[in-house]
Amino acid sequence: MIEIKNLAKAFALGKGSKLSDTEKQDVRYADKEFRSVRDVSFHCGQGEVLGLLGPNGAGKTTTLRMLSTALKPDAGSVLINGVDVLREPVKARKQIGFLSADTGLYGKLSAYENIAYFGRLHGMKEAALKQRIDELFTMLNMHDFASRRADNMSTGMKQKTAIARAVVHSPKVVILDEPTTGLDIMTVQTVLDFIKGLKQVGTPVIFSTHHLDEVASLCDRVVVIDKGISAFSGDLAEFKALAPTGDLRDAFLAVLKQQSNEQGAA
Amino acid sequence: MWQVYLKELTELMRDRKTLIFVILLPIFIFPVIFGVMGLVLSSTTAKAMQEQHKYVIVNGDQAPEFAEALFYHKNFKRVESTLTAPEELIAAIRAGEFAVAVVIPDDFQAKQSAVEQSQWQLIYNQSSQLDFMSRYFNELLENYTGQLQRQSLSALGVDPVKLTAILKPVSVQKVDTADKRENIGEKFGALIAYILIPLCLLGASYPAIDMGAGEKERGTLETLLICPVSRSAIVLGKFLTVLTTGLAGALITVASFGIWGAVIGSFAGFAVVQEAMGAIATVELLLIFLMIVPTSAIFASLLLAISIYAKTFKEAQNYMSPLSILMFVPLAAAMMPGVELTTKTAMIPVMNVALAIKELIKGTADGSMIALIFGATVALAAALIAFCVHWFQQEKVLFR
Repeated sequence: MIEIKNLAKAFALGKGSKLSDTEKQDVRYADKEFRSVRDVSFHCGQGEVLGLLGPNGAGKTTTLRMLSTALKPDAGSVLINGVDVLREPVKARKQIGFLSADTGLYGKLSAYENIAYFGRLHGMKEAALKQRIDELFTMLNMHDFASRRADNMSTGMKQKTAIARAVVHSPKVVILDEPTTGLDIMTVQTVLDFIKGLKQVGTPVIFSTHHLDEVASLCDRVVVIDKGISAFSGDLAEFKALAPTGDLRDAFLAVLKQQSNEQGAA
Repeated sequence: MWQVYLKELTELMRDRKTLIFVILLPIFIFPVIFGVMGLVLSSTTAKAMQEQHKYVIVNGDQAPEFAEALFYHKNFKRVESTLTAPEELIAAIRAGEFAVAVVIPDDFQAKQSAVEQSQWQLIYNQSSQLDFMSRYFNELLENYTGQLQRQSLSALGVDPVKLTAILKPVSVQKVDTADKRENIGEKFGALIAYILIPLCLLGASYPAIDMGAGEKERGTLETLLICPVSRSAIVLGKFLTVLTTGLAGALITVASFGIWGAVIGSFAGFAVVQEAMGAIATVELLLIFLMIVPTSAIFASLLLAISIYAKTFKEAQNYMSPLSILMFVPLAAAMMPGVELTTKTAMIPVMNVALAIKELIKGTADGSMIALIFGATVALAAALIAFCVHWFQQEKVLFR
């Protein structure tokens, strides 16, 4: 169970940075800071998959980074299974698995070593670690290249290793930042199968994406972020209902339009 | 922290570039460089010493003894020429017809009889670094003028027995109080620091880039940050790795110098080197190492701070080149003649360590001064490590 309330984050702008005209029109630029995320709230229950949608630069990555404790929010709260991420970041981190498309591996280390390193950093005991990695290797069919160095792996092998690394400590929630962007079809399939697998065992997954077909096939809930505000949060059926045709693309555009109308009115 | 340290170390050990920089370079390349340099230098010197200089003498009949001595000198070879005017001689030297022209005034003998001073001209290209030619010429001239002095004085009726005392009333015999080691230490002590300290930086810089900017570039930093490990532990683990490689580089260099020094010293003619090396006790070597540790820590934390800030490998490398140039300034200052270890110079980072190493090699180190420098360096290193830890907590540094 994940609950996010009124999350906000601003970045200080450098003195030298000049804003373009379009940027000046963006309501998020104020004085000397850029309010990347202004007000984001949503929740995700046990075993649910939540899709995070939004245009480029809407604040999706920043939101996910705050969720994963890499960034500290200015305001708002994040609760993961009742653990306040802001108050107890180290405890919360043990429950989070994080992965993005450009997450890399240590090229000089083998698949096993890459995964084991993060397992140890998560405080896992050697015996438990070994067993867990063996389990993951079987699950992802990775035994063939367990001792191959990441530098010599194919993209698919790398992505499998990255997935195994993200869940080695059996996280209570998995956060994925555009996990399929820039990957080939086979590798995308690996990632999608992995999300399905998590869903089956009841682990909640939050992932951001630009692919609406992924949302249609995987998600239980949808959140649309635009200009740092969660413009829509609800289940898939509610989202579809926004467009008369029931088409996801139309529904997405409808949310954005409604949002900009509200902005104009305000 | 140790997990990070161990993993970074394993990764580095598998990296060929690091191995080359930290281990191979100091072991093999440095002695090779010095060997080649020494060889080139000694062979060019020998060549310059054996070189024959073509010369033209104008009015040689005015000083026949000198002309004869010049003619029979093995490094001079006479060339016939009709030129007499200085401008023509200069032009001919520029054209490469001969190397040097000696112009004796045509009234030289007349002036000599009247006991008047006359002026000779020596025309040659003075830009050469190894100016053996003028040294030979001066030797010849000194002999010749000595003869003339004796002749003139005898002609004036001076007692020949007293001539030596008149010509050179004072003869100085130099007695050196510095022992051999102090002498060698003064000359080479600073040089050793000059080699040792940059090596700490060199050995540490590649791993440092890899661990900060490299981690950003590979996209592994974010996953590392959200591990349930404090950021201080991550930084310290990385810092220790950089420190280890820097020290390893320096240690291997010292060892390689020692071993190569002994090997070269065992050949003929290098007994001095052997003697000097033998005089340096293990305690002093340990003290030198003790000085190097905090210095390496300073470099390691600086390099790591730069590397964490940089977005890419390239950016980090761009920031590092000015750092290495900056480091050479105090090192060069320590090498300058007349720069001594005082309370003031003991407070200048890097320079103080260089001076301390020099003193230790000379064997004239003052214990309290060494302690002061060690304290100052440790304090600076601690401050920089603290900065590095603080730096690593900044979102604007990590997510630029």
